[in-house]
Amino acid sequence: MTISVGIPRALLFHEFGELWQSFFSNLGVAVSVSPATTKTLLDRGTSLAVDESCLPLKLYLGHAESLLGCSSHLFVPRIACYHRDYYLCAKFAGLPDIVRNTFGLSADRVIAPDVDGRRPLCGINAVRTAAGAVGRSTFAGLASLRQALAAWRTQPAGPGVAADTKVAVIGHSYILRDPFLGGEVLSLLAARSVATVTPDDVPARALYAEAGRFAPEVHWQLSAKLAGATRYFAVRPDIAGLVLVSCFGCGPDSLVNEFLEYRVLKGCGKPYLILNVDEHTGRAGVATRVEAFWDLVEWRRRK
Amino acid sequence: MKVTYPYMGYMSAPVRHMLESLAIEVTEAPPISKRTVELGTLHSPEGVCLPYKLNMGNFLEGLERGADTIVTMCGAGKCRFGFYGAVQRTALTQGREIAFCSLDTERLLPDMYRFLRRAAPSAGRLTVAGSIALAVKKLRALDAVNDAKNRFAPRADVPERVVDICEYGTGEIAGAESFAEVNYSRDLIVSVMSSYCRADAPQPPRVALVGEFYVLLEPYANRWIENALVKQGVEVRKFVRTGGWAYAKTLLQTFGLFDEEREYLDEARPYFNHHVGGDGLKSVGTSLWSARQGYDGIIHVFPFGCMPEIVAQYALKNIAADYGLPLLTLSIDEHASDVGIATRLEAFVDCIKRKKEGSRL
Repeated sequence: MTISVGIPRALLFHEFGELWQSFFSNLGVAVSVSPATTKTLLDRGTSLAVDESCLPLKLYLGHAESLLGCSSHLFVPRIACYHRDYYLCAKFAGLPDIVRNTFGLSADRVIAPDVDGRRPLCGINAVRTAAGAVGRSTFAGLASLRQALAAWRTQPAGPGVAADTKVAVIGHSYILRDPFLGGEVLSLLAARSVATVTPDDVPARALYAEAGRFAPEVHWQLSAKLAGATRYFAVRPDIAGLVLVSCFGCGPDSLVNEFLEYRVLKGCGKPYLILNVDEHTGRAGVATRVEAFWDLVEWRRRK
Repeated sequence: MKVTYPYMGYMSAPVRHMLESLAIEVTEAPPISKRTVELGTLHSPEGVCLPYKLNMGNFLEGLERGADTIVTMCGAGKCRFGFYGAVQRTALTQGREIAFCSLDTERLLPDMYRFLRRAAPSAGRLTVAGSIALAVKKLRALDAVNDAKNRFAPRADVPERVVDICEYGTGEIAGAESFAEVNYSRDLIVSVMSSYCRADAPQPPRVALVGEFYVLLEPYANRWIENALVKQGVEVRKFVRTGGWAYAKTLLQTFGLFDEEREYLDEARPYFNHHVGGDGLKSVGTSLWSARQGYDGIIHVFPFGCMPEIVAQYALKNIAADYGLPLLTLSIDEHASDVGIATRLEAFVDCIKRKKEGSRL
């Protein structure tokens, strides 16, 4: 049976997808990525998942299911932490187990390298697991990763928006970059020709430096980035307002948003909106809130 | 300094005794009630888990009674518990003159020692260390009494009696002044409880109670689920214990003798292969253990939206299916009603009893 690796287009795919894809294609393995999110995909994921799972996890299961028929292996890395100061949320550490338990897959169909930045040699072990699963040597894997990393790191940074009034839309990259989840907020603002910036437009180094102010209290990696972005945008004069997008069932966000409201947003004097999206698709609710928010921003500017 | 702290089952009684024996003034919040839940919910983010809301309620009620220092715990890596302190501190200290001390569970013994030394400057080092040791000893004795209750009550003619004795015993042990006194009270209470139990009683159905730490330990949060089960003639085995946890976290961990991850990882395979924070791994490990030991059912209790337990639930569903075990999942939030939980519990007990009788015929 020919080996082909499927990568679900959800969660950390939006951060590392290109790296993973080129890692496998450098090794000469066929890679397929699940198609962009649709309502059907989300509905499938919702019916597969445990009810209380967070929205991105439900979506992930929908994407994973769509790949089961066409690929021999699924690539589901177990990313417990990759920055030495921060953890990831529990769901990332349990992701391969969630996938295996949901679909009843045997262990060799799921390529699940452990990424745990606190353990020595975890990088090499992860490469050995991933390369070994597709029948390649560790050495070939390391060479392929090196090549993939070089290409990945030279990616151009965010385009940088030139407008003098911008709205900062802050949320996990897997929400904002998914047109079905948070992307809706961005397109609603774009429809009113509002310039937007996201945490992706800011160099990660600057975000972590800002987030360092909250250390060691904020200990989730992805939340630290959001906290850093909120602090960063709150003091920029060209940012007219902030929108925090989170999704139903997100554990870290439920506390971090409150924390940011007390520590940053209430004091910054700018309009802000905290928006929660869920799997019940009705555009009107989100649209109303975003429009009301934009009206407030404009009213403030005229004053 | 008037100290208040959140409730967590029978932990507060020895803690109060420990603080008072060091001449620290304690202002306890009233026992958790409906008002605590409402007050806590009002001052918490909507999507946060129930333990946070209950803690907030305890703090606010403690402050109402005149407390000026809050002592709480914090930590557990990937789980939200690690971030409680930061948000609660910000929410509570806005415009108020109160001290907020959070003890990190990853270094519980040094943190606790430092706090007590500061709060009770006149007490000597040995007195402080001794009072911590006595408190841990009492908690372990309370564990033993509680375990004995869960074992003897379902075998007794009048299980309510055994439960009452256990409740009475909690106060006795909490007030003991020395190790010997603790041992004596514990043995006495256990033997009194065992005298209510018929020697020839058949093995009652056994249920494993797994899930999230706080909800399992705080009877208000889990609606006295253990007592409800034993009164219906079901033997309950709970794997999360207050004293066992305190002992592991203070003494064993300080000397590097305890690694929860290693302990449960082998038990949880092949359903689960990594630590996910909180008690997720432990829930899976202990469920699988009890499935292999021939238990009659699993009850999984956790706060609504608890991240590690949701991850565990994916595995629990498969364990229950593979071993043919009834599984009851109770996800508890501030809206959970006594009646709702009692009904599901009764239905579950009926189910396992019928299944057990069916297998015997």
